[in-house]
Amino acid sequence: MSDFAWCIPLFPLLASLLLTMGARRYSDGVASLIASCAVFISAAISIGVLMETLNTVVPTVHHWRWLSFGDQSITVGAEVNQLNALMLVIVSLVSFLVHRYARGYMAGDRRMATFYAYLSLFTFSMLGLVISPNLLQLYVFWELVGVCSFLLIGFWFYKPEAKRAARKAFILTRIGDVGLFIAVILTFWQVGSFEWEAIFAAISANKIPPEMITLIALLIFVGAVGKSGQFPLHSWLPDAMEGPTPVSALIHAATMVAAGAYLVARAFPIFAASDVALGTVAYVGAFTAIFAATIGLVQNDIKRILAWSTVSQLGYMMLALGSSGYVAGIFHLTTHASFKALLFLAAGAIITMLHHEQDIRRMGGLWKSQRRIGWLFLIGCLAITGIPPFSGFFSKEEILTAAWLSGRVDLFLVGVVTAFLTALYIFRLFFLVFMGEERGKIAPSQIPRVMIWPMVLLTIPAIGAGFLAWIPAHGFSDWLTKGTGILAAPQGEAPGWIPLLTLLLSLAGVGVAWLRYGRGAVTIPSQSQSVTGIHHLLSRAYFVDDLYRWGIGKPYRWLSILLSWVDQQIISGIVSGVGALFQAGGRIGSRMQNGQAQTYALVSLLGLVIVIVGLTAGRWFG
Amino acid sequence: MKTLIDFDWTVMAPELTIAGMAALLSVIDLFLHPNKDRRFFMWPTLIAIGTAIGFVATQWGKPAYQILADTYRVDDFAFVFKMILLIGTALVAVISYGAFRREKGFAEGEYYYLLLVALLGGMVMTSSGDLITLFVGLELLSIATYILVGMRKRAITSNEAAWKNVVLGGVASAFILYGMSFLYGLTGSTNLFTMKERLGEALTSGYDLYAWLALFLIVFGFGFKVAVAPFHMWVPDVYQGAPTPITAFLAVISKTAAFALMLRVFLTGFLPLFQGGGGTLVDEETGGRLLLTMAGLSMILGTVIALRQQDAKRLLAYSSIAQAGVILVPMATWGPFLFPSTVYYLVGYLFTTLGAFTVLMLIEGDAGDSKLSSFAGLSRRAPLTAGAMALFLLSLAGIPVTVGFFGKFYILMNAIVTGSPEHWAMYLIAGIMLMTTVASYFYYFGIIRMMYFRPPQRREGLRVPVGAMMVIGIAFIATLGLGLMPQWILGILGNLDWGAALSPVK
Repeated sequence: MSDFAWCIPLFPLLASLLLTMGARRYSDGVASLIASCAVFISAAISIGVLMETLNTVVPTVHHWRWLSFGDQSITVGAEVNQLNALMLVIVSLVSFLVHRYARGYMAGDRRMATFYAYLSLFTFSMLGLVISPNLLQLYVFWELVGVCSFLLIGFWFYKPEAKRAARKAFILTRIGDVGLFIAVILTFWQVGSFEWEAIFAAISANKIPPEMITLIALLIFVGAVGKSGQFPLHSWLPDAMEGPTPVSALIHAATMVAAGAYLVARAFPIFAASDVALGTVAYVGAFTAIFAATIGLVQNDIKRILAWSTVSQLGYMMLALGSSGYVAGIFHLTTHASFKALLFLAAGAIITMLHHEQDIRRMGGLWKSQRRIGWLFLIGCLAITGIPPFSGFFSKEEILTAAWLSGRVDLFLVGVVTAFLTALYIFRLFFLVFMGEERGKIAPSQIPRVMIWPMVLLTIPAIGAGFLAWIPAHGFSDWLTKGTGILAAPQGEAPGWIPLLTLLLSLAGVGVAWLRYGRGAVTIPSQSQSVTGIHHLLSRAYFVDDLYRWGIGKPYRWLSILLSWVDQQIISGIVSGVGALFQAGGRIGSRMQNGQAQTYALVSLLGLVIVIVGLTAGRWFG
Repeated sequence: MKTLIDFDWTVMAPELTIAGMAALLSVIDLFLHPNKDRRFFMWPTLIAIGTAIGFVATQWGKPAYQILADTYRVDDFAFVFKMILLIGTALVAVISYGAFRREKGFAEGEYYYLLLVALLGGMVMTSSGDLITLFVGLELLSIATYILVGMRKRAITSNEAAWKNVVLGGVASAFILYGMSFLYGLTGSTNLFTMKERLGEALTSGYDLYAWLALFLIVFGFGFKVAVAPFHMWVPDVYQGAPTPITAFLAVISKTAAFALMLRVFLTGFLPLFQGGGGTLVDEETGGRLLLTMAGLSMILGTVIALRQQDAKRLLAYSSIAQAGVILVPMATWGPFLFPSTVYYLVGYLFTTLGAFTVLMLIEGDAGDSKLSSFAGLSRRAPLTAGAMALFLLSLAGIPVTVGFFGKFYILMNAIVTGSPEHWAMYLIAGIMLMTTVASYFYYFGIIRMMYFRPPQRREGLRVPVGAMMVIGIAFIATLGLGLMPQWILGILGNLDWGAALSPVK
């Protein structure tokens, strides 16, 4: 089966071409069917490939010579190893489910075929990225997924926000991509090859100077920061929620944004060779995790809360990888893909029911009428919160263990606090949407079955993926690292209290959310209730609620407002400042362009004189 | 002493074909009734170019040959550049077909044979081994384009553009001639290879200042012709005023020919100034730094000013200034892939730019202006054309799987390989290239957003003539094909004997 791995990305490409060429000819159903079938075939082969890697651990590589470059030849091809076999399955399966789901969600959109063409093109690019045996090919697909993301965020181009978001996403991720591009060139310069195998071999043979390894690793990480929405290039991701919800689920939650974490994992031997690089990854990841989680506490748009949560969870993956928790990072990537896709699809269902209402202050009480969606959403929430036996518990626990074992207590504490915050913001969302009284006046409409069953299927990994960690004798981590020479996790004995702590904190988060938002006592948007009677003061529950509000809630709210402000004013300010700088330069340049030929000749002459003087002046006077 | 008869004149067959057809067409033009439609001139033009391509192809792989008292060289360098020029002109001729039908007083007959004359000038430039032939070729190309720019006699912008082109082009030519006269005075020869030897001597014997002066003067002129900063000021006005196919011609064929000239002159005649001859006032790095400065300035100015343009034609004009800066980078940094990376980029630039200008021409014909807003909703009106345009823009921006990405990548590789802590300027130029590339996304994507994310101003589809459709198709296939399979062209470029261009035929 691995021999056919190279054709996995080709089916979606074929579908995309078919759909582009005959966009007007196909009915919605046919377009959806073509795209879904193609992805289904890819998914089937991917599963076959994954099964095969369970037995044979030697990576299979297929090459074709692409071009000669000096005396080096550059190849294109497909590589199958444990990491990307797993990734192939995640991408193609989630993509397939989203393809089906979109049939219901996008029903009635006039450009359904175009939508599926873009979605298939994205799937092709993402699968191509995963299967790349070398850095250059990976970079090519890396850019392609960026273009697809741009097209899909701006799919509803008649919304000005969507257009803005598409541009912002493209530009911000491009800044990261330039870092990756420089890393690609530097690597080739140092190693003389783009192949992962050759790069890792050169590193283990100490052929590259250590500072160069650090530089390359950091530049690769810059690329990952852009794609995975890590601080400070994160702000495009929440805005990207302007795209259709299936896109948010597939691209901006489960797969493309995880490409950054995947890249770090793929290039892990480079990072492992540099403590500085690993430390940077860990600290950036940890900071992003807590930073995004606090912001998630005060958002009111259902998709934006999930987006901030994605940023935060990706920070967790980076934290894991940076703490040498290779397996923990990939494990969390896997579990996150399933539960976050589930959460997004369920959110999409809620949005559809409420006629495209996204503000959680105008939702509420849906549990009574929409028990089915409620359960699906609840499973996602429990998984991300880390309540056993749901999957998030296991991966989060491994991450915190890795952080603890790596000896960085500060990172461990950040991870622990973030686990609490995660529970808090996700259950705030859950309680506000499903509990209490119905706030909006919008009558819920029915959800088509084609949207339901993909979510039902996603609950299986969202619940069960965690048990990969329970395969006897470290089966999962042994399988993942066999033959790669990578340590599965930092050395040391994992303290037994970490899972307990994780669980307690998560439960505490849920509890706080329940006290604050769950009982229906608090009406939104009123933030503060006046305390009237002594009974209320004696009420322990109220006391705790108050304590949390003043002790944790408010400061966190202030902090997140502060961080939001930093995000909005300073980060956006820098971005628009760069733009303004260019604009100002353009204005001066345009003014000189006054249409006078004499001026033109004069400017040229002066230019030449300045250049000559600049080049020679030192020698005239020195 | 050889006489004229002793030379193997067959090596001149491509030039003679083009010159012959230009002469023939001008005579036919005289005898045709003034009101007769002269659009069919495109066919003889294409036949001539096709024949010339055939003749050039026979020179493939042959050893270098010099003719006309060593003033004219036929070598692999000339082979490649002639191919680019011929293919480019053929495509321009095709998109011109019927483009000016509604224009009153447009001399369509002259248009085609002037195009051939300009092409001839370009071909002479790529093959010249002597300052005299070089200047003749340059002027042949320049004068023909002066007229072509002003072909739309009734359009005031076209007149203004032509006038500016003549005046500023004349200034540039004057500077080149002045520089050449210094060179002749220093070396007593106009032959580039003799110049190389004697210039080395001149540098060490106290005449270095004059040698540098000659270089600076010539750089002024060449800078004008290839349109790099700070000699770029004429570009936006002329590009905007000229008929769009001629703008494409200026942006692609004129520029390529001028780059060929620049490479020849700097790598042979002026070689001592770039490789070092031990001057006292100015050291050998100055030559390279001069080119680096121009390349960096062009990329920055072209990109930065393009951000503010509201007119697609002006935008592409500034973008072509930035692109010229990129093409100058290999020449400024040298390195192992100097020739292949330059030529590869030029080939990609040829197809991408021609494709983009063709689409622009269609939009101009449809909307009556070349404003960015005229692109609105193109994806709905003409999905295939919009898709092709998007690809061209992606290629100009340097996004992967297009020829533009690989070209930029190749040039960057070349620059970085030559860099070292002592030659930090190479890293600087690579950094500028990357920065300006990112900044350029803003305006290239401005057009893409117009096409895809804006509702169309009118409903009916865009009329795409067969010729334009073919050119767009060819450009599309080349942009994508060369991006996917660069080996196809790199294989050819790798087998060429570039060294032959740098040394005289024994």
